[in-house]
Amino acid sequence: MTTHNGDQDTEAGKLDGLLAKLDEATELLANARDFAKPGKVRRVFDTAKRVMLQDGGCAAIERRARALEEAGVFNGSDWAYPQILIPSLTPHSLKSGDPDTVVLEALSELRLLAVARAAYEHPQISAEQAHHYLTQVLAINLELLFTAPSEAERETQGRLALLTRALFAHLADTIGYEHVIDQLIDEIWRILQQRPIQVDAVKRMITQIAVCQANPDIDLGTSGQGADRLVSSLFGPTQACREDPGLEVYAERLQPMDANALQYEATGFARAMHDTGLVSAYHPVLLRHLLDHGDHLLAEALGLSATGRDCLLCYRQLVQALIEEGVHPATPQAVYGLALMLERGILYQPPVAPALWRQIGLPLSAWSQERMRMAYGDAVSPRARLLEGVLCMLGLPLGVGQGNNPTCQSARALSMWAYNDPDYLLQMVAWAARDDEIIMHFEGMPLSSMASLSGVATNLPMDLDPVSLLVVPHLDRIYAEMGRRCIGREGDPHRWVNPEFHGWWAGRGFRINVDVETGQLDQLEDFLRHFYASYHPFYNGNQPLIHPQPAGIAVTDSAARFIGWHAITLLRVNLDPQDTMRAYFFNPNNDSGQDWGDDVKVSTAGHGERFGEASLPFEQFASRLYIFHYDPLERGELANVTQQELDRVIGYIHRSWGANRVPAADLQAHSGPA
Amino acid sequence: MNKDPNKGYVALLGWSLNAVEAAEDFDRRYVVVAPDWAEDYCKQHDIPYLSWNFERLNDRSLEIAETLRDMGVDVAIPLFEETVEWAGAINSVLLDNPRLYGQALLLRDKALMKRRAQLGGIRVGIFEEAHDKEDVIRFLKRVNQTLLKLDGDPNDPIHLKAFDKAGCLGHRVIRTPDEVDTIPEEEFPVLMESHLDGWEFAVEAWIHDGKIAFLNISEYVTLGYSVFVPATPELEKYRPQITAQIEKLIKAFDIDFGLIHPEYFVTSDGEMYFGEVAYRPPGFKVFELLERAYGFNAYQATIMVFDPKTTEDEVKAFFPKEVVDAKGHAGCFGVYPRRRVVSRLEIPEETEDHPYFESHELTAPLEETVTKRTAFGTHWGLVYFFGDDPHTMRDLLKHQEELDFYV
Repeated sequence: MTTHNGDQDTEAGKLDGLLAKLDEATELLANARDFAKPGKVRRVFDTAKRVMLQDGGCAAIERRARALEEAGVFNGSDWAYPQILIPSLTPHSLKSGDPDTVVLEALSELRLLAVARAAYEHPQISAEQAHHYLTQVLAINLELLFTAPSEAERETQGRLALLTRALFAHLADTIGYEHVIDQLIDEIWRILQQRPIQVDAVKRMITQIAVCQANPDIDLGTSGQGADRLVSSLFGPTQACREDPGLEVYAERLQPMDANALQYEATGFARAMHDTGLVSAYHPVLLRHLLDHGDHLLAEALGLSATGRDCLLCYRQLVQALIEEGVHPATPQAVYGLALMLERGILYQPPVAPALWRQIGLPLSAWSQERMRMAYGDAVSPRARLLEGVLCMLGLPLGVGQGNNPTCQSARALSMWAYNDPDYLLQMVAWAARDDEIIMHFEGMPLSSMASLSGVATNLPMDLDPVSLLVVPHLDRIYAEMGRRCIGREGDPHRWVNPEFHGWWAGRGFRINVDVETGQLDQLEDFLRHFYASYHPFYNGNQPLIHPQPAGIAVTDSAARFIGWHAITLLRVNLDPQDTMRAYFFNPNNDSGQDWGDDVKVSTAGHGERFGEASLPFEQFASRLYIFHYDPLERGELANVTQQELDRVIGYIHRSWGANRVPAADLQAHSGPA
Repeated sequence: MNKDPNKGYVALLGWSLNAVEAAEDFDRRYVVVAPDWAEDYCKQHDIPYLSWNFERLNDRSLEIAETLRDMGVDVAIPLFEETVEWAGAINSVLLDNPRLYGQALLLRDKALMKRRAQLGGIRVGIFEEAHDKEDVIRFLKRVNQTLLKLDGDPNDPIHLKAFDKAGCLGHRVIRTPDEVDTIPEEEFPVLMESHLDGWEFAVEAWIHDGKIAFLNISEYVTLGYSVFVPATPELEKYRPQITAQIEKLIKAFDIDFGLIHPEYFVTSDGEMYFGEVAYRPPGFKVFELLERAYGFNAYQATIMVFDPKTTEDEVKAFFPKEVVDAKGHAGCFGVYPRRRVVSRLEIPEETEDHPYFESHELTAPLEETVTKRTAFGTHWGLVYFFGDDPHTMRDLLKHQEELDFYV
């Protein structure tokens, strides 16, 4: 106890020492001439950064907010004008790798906190405005409040990632969680509607809400109502586990239950699972219990429709083995993956069931086991964890995310195989997990993932689902190697790489609307007419898209500025419930709901999307497209799209990523008031 | 600050923000004489300014001196090595003392400087001028013969320095004849010196009326890496000898006023060897360290000792007492990337967490590949420390050399 107190004393002493330094540095800055301030601000930044890393540091800075601002820390930057600050910009500055940017943003937030609390009367911004601003900042940066730094953050930010978390803990404590919770709940529902495979972050957020609700010191007021379904789906979805009694108690309660009571439990779990996409740890306990109680209850607990139940009955033994091996309280999402896999009916494809038997008994290489343990810990065996991942990927092919890694191509390939060619996916998993090697062929030449030195990602990605964790490093290296084999060829390498990498069904015909040499737009109208002719049902003889097709997107930010090229899968094109022609696609980004600017907002629900699909009206989709594939044998006439419609699409392009890419000749053609 | 018309009017030769700030906050009138790129900045911030390009002395040199004289300026103060002879030339006009120009030239040429010091009875190492690589090889051999080395014994190194550059710029250490080939032709002529195995340190001495007004000893932990003030007691114990050396220097170079910044070696037997002397503020932000340690502004001190209208009483009142009046020890460390390829700046946690750590002025790397250092080179930025104990400071600065700031 004494040692502990001693530690606290030295901690407090350290903070006091740093604050003395900060005050001295602030005074020097305050006394400096305007032109000399840039030279004096360094010491303030460096010291403030260390202060905020200490317990109580943020509060201490908040008390000094006025002195800091008046000394001139914000001089010459946007932060000097708090009335113009935009909450949506804070995620960028708070996650910046530049310590000064992070420190400035943090200082500004703490200053506004002092303003919001009426401790600092600011000439430019009122307490109400400051409060409103901070509420928005909190909601936008919720993960800083509730999640530990991701690997990617740690890499770019180091200890700064801890600083931003200390800042947000202080902001939320002061502003109050009740202002945050409702926005958080909306956000969780929005993400869950996309049914991601990885739900750990969502589960953490829900847990935080539950903790806030249970904490008598936090007054949530009327907020947090919508959280009940989320919290209960994780911690007490049924009558017998309503009060979160613990797994052992629940298992005991199941023992004496009769068929009726079990049926009641089964439907309760199934409803919660299909409502949210989240599976409670109690659910596997029931499922394993029901293995001895007949198929009807099993189907009920999985919430299966006629299709799924049929599949379950046909493959009863396989399902039993999958549950015994892969469904544990530590791997609850396996239940959802299993249920959706059965619903998809893919077990009826001859190679899939035997491939799953192989998966059940698959020995994992030492390296694979090591990677699984590093990423997920030791709660269950790496093989069980991988099996959960396989079930989830087969059940939720559009739930694959690339994490914080530049590996959209590999994530897209995995998703496409799970969707279109599941036994091939299982083959890839077996090679990667058991043999530590995948061999693919490029134009007849075998490419080994062992022999290829580097991939697109410079570090081994860790923030992935189990299947991606093992397979993506191999795919990424092969993908990069295929790219290297195309060095020196004219044009864009995706022309050759995409079909070889993804599968025979990716069209060998290839169109791109950017001249690779100059980066300028190239044959835009032809490109669009060709795209309409290939994919738009009104122009292609009402032919629905058969196989998922790789396509390239020019991603833009909410201000419609070009961000980068991105790989997606085009899944289907049809009329939505509002009779608008829409393109439905898979985006390997972790969250497909994105604002691409100029009123192009990618929708993930409400326009006929299936789980995990993103969608845009066809014209808007075409306006962000830069690469597509087609079957060269089916190439028909260019679509006779009306000039008006084409002009609308081209307008979207010219107002966004194409703004600086219009070739000179084109510009002249379009200039003038015509 | 309100300017006192009874005190001097000074011209600062060269652009230094810290010097301008100090002048702005001091009671002397001042004008900054700097190249035209500083003009907009000075206008914007109401800084008195006169445009001048210091590239070389030429026919127009008298023009700047006469302009300043007509403005009523009393004295010109050099802030950088390159402006030392300009100050000499200008001051010979302003103060009507032609000798000052010759003195400045002497202080600009390392070979002449050593010769003059030798004539003044000051001990210097063996030195010689080299005009080509042949000269370097001959000197290396002769120095090592003098030291009674046999063939095959490792050579004692020799040092090569540009004649007229500040500090470590162009400083090379040569151990073998092979290394001579790495010297680019355009660096010749150079000054060659024998290596002195000793403790190198620097002095900043403010001289008023031919007398030392304040004498600081700057301790180098490792030359080119780190320095702190005041020095450890082990070095400060030489203060009487060092003061005597500085007095000899003042006499040999006939220095009446100003700031000098000489470097010395003290060998294990307590003998002082003169390295070189500069007539301008030192590099490595020693002025800033002095302000941190003592609280007085070293630029203002310099303005004061240059100003011919300054009285002796004012000087006495301005300066604190050496060592005893220091609030602590202030040091800084120059960071060089240690890896060949770096991607970002990452201040080591142990550095940042040390109670002596104050701040740094390092910036993110612009290029991933680190240029190989041929000469002593330029550091990528400084890290500042401040604390009570000189030995902790010394060990802390030394330890920084083993840390990666760029990874």
